[in-house]
Amino acid sequence: MGATFVVVLREGFEAALLLGIVYAYLTKIGHPESYRYVTIGGALALGASILMGVGVSVASGPLADFGPDVIAVGVIFVAVALLTWHGWWMGRHARELRGEVQRRIDEAHAQQRLWMVGLIAFTGVFREGAETVLFLWGLLTQLEEASGWLALLGATAGLVGAAILGWVVFQGGRRLSIHGFFAATSVLLLFLAGGLVASGVGRLQGLGVLPAGDPLWDTSWLLNDHSIVGSLLAGLVGYRARPSALEVAGYLVYVVAAGTLFFPTLLRRRGASDLAERAANRHV
Amino acid sequence: MTCIRAVSARHWTLVMVVAVFGLMLTTGASAQDKPTEIPVTIENNRFSPAEIKVPAGKPFVLVVTNKDAKPEEFESKELRIEKVIPAGKTANIRVRALKPGSYPFFGEFNPKTAQGRIIAE
Repeated sequence: MGATFVVVLREGFEAALLLGIVYAYLTKIGHPESYRYVTIGGALALGASILMGVGVSVASGPLADFGPDVIAVGVIFVAVALLTWHGWWMGRHARELRGEVQRRIDEAHAQQRLWMVGLIAFTGVFREGAETVLFLWGLLTQLEEASGWLALLGATAGLVGAAILGWVVFQGGRRLSIHGFFAATSVLLLFLAGGLVASGVGRLQGLGVLPAGDPLWDTSWLLNDHSIVGSLLAGLVGYRARPSALEVAGYLVYVVAAGTLFFPTLLRRRGASDLAERAANRHV
Repeated sequence: MTCIRAVSARHWTLVMVVAVFGLMLTTGASAQDKPTEIPVTIENNRFSPAEIKVPAGKPFVLVVTNKDAKPEEFESKELRIEKVIPAGKTANIRVRALKPGSYPFFGEFNPKTAQGRIIAE
């Protein structure tokens, strides 16, 4: 029971986090009526996950061997692109919001952003969706045994746990000032996306597309990837107990590059360049 | 003008990132000989054999058959492999050439019992 709880919680955690953030985001920019974009994105992803689960179970041959891997890697990098774009947008617009706590972002801007937010919801749910669907489906076939019901109970509790997490993020996000919210989610998304980059690079190394190497360091004695805290941190900030050099490089390059996009004012404050500031001003 | 220059300067970072990844892709995808296939079975939430000996330095393929009535996920943190194998199905998992050492793997859906390792020597 405990085991199935952990599996589902781990799979659902990232999706719940992203859903909580985007719902709260819509509230903060004054468009709660647009929740449906997120809901539709999430629901479509659920449908796609079920389709993929069925597909994997039915298909065979080279397509079944490579298809899921290619899709998994593709979803990771699409998610990175979407989150980067979103963070960049928040970085550009944070400055506009000065002094107005509940400013309604203008209609035209917001409309453009809605499909984007829906897509973030889609990738967030779809990323671990097919796996979770297959896992739950497997549990449903085990119900003749008494332990099967316990396992299903644990899995349901895991889903509920993930949903509560998402709800807490949503409620917490709603209570922040719009500045606080933009800043907090930018930081969160920056490291989450950095972790996704590391995951993507790792998967490509596992598939032999990128050269693999020895781990740069080993902190598994301190915090193991297999542990629940380790795996939640892996999803949240990209923690790895034994990262490869390429994963670390990908993570760092991403966090630095995207960080300058997400936080254009940091550049200005350091006086390194007023380029970003000028760009932001012209662009708004 | 300033606008265009400023934006392209900012996008330059992204272009660089893409270029670096592109380079890594082309250097990484080297040609490989036909790898040997190693059969592995999942039954009663366990892998058999649970210990797989392979020669170091040669890529190989794990042909994993799931004989259980529910799906299992073959996962190895060390090898960066995650592969769901539905009930009654067989999956081919390509594994890169390994340095000598021990590489644990487990069944994500039954991590308590489904444990194994690959030993490259």
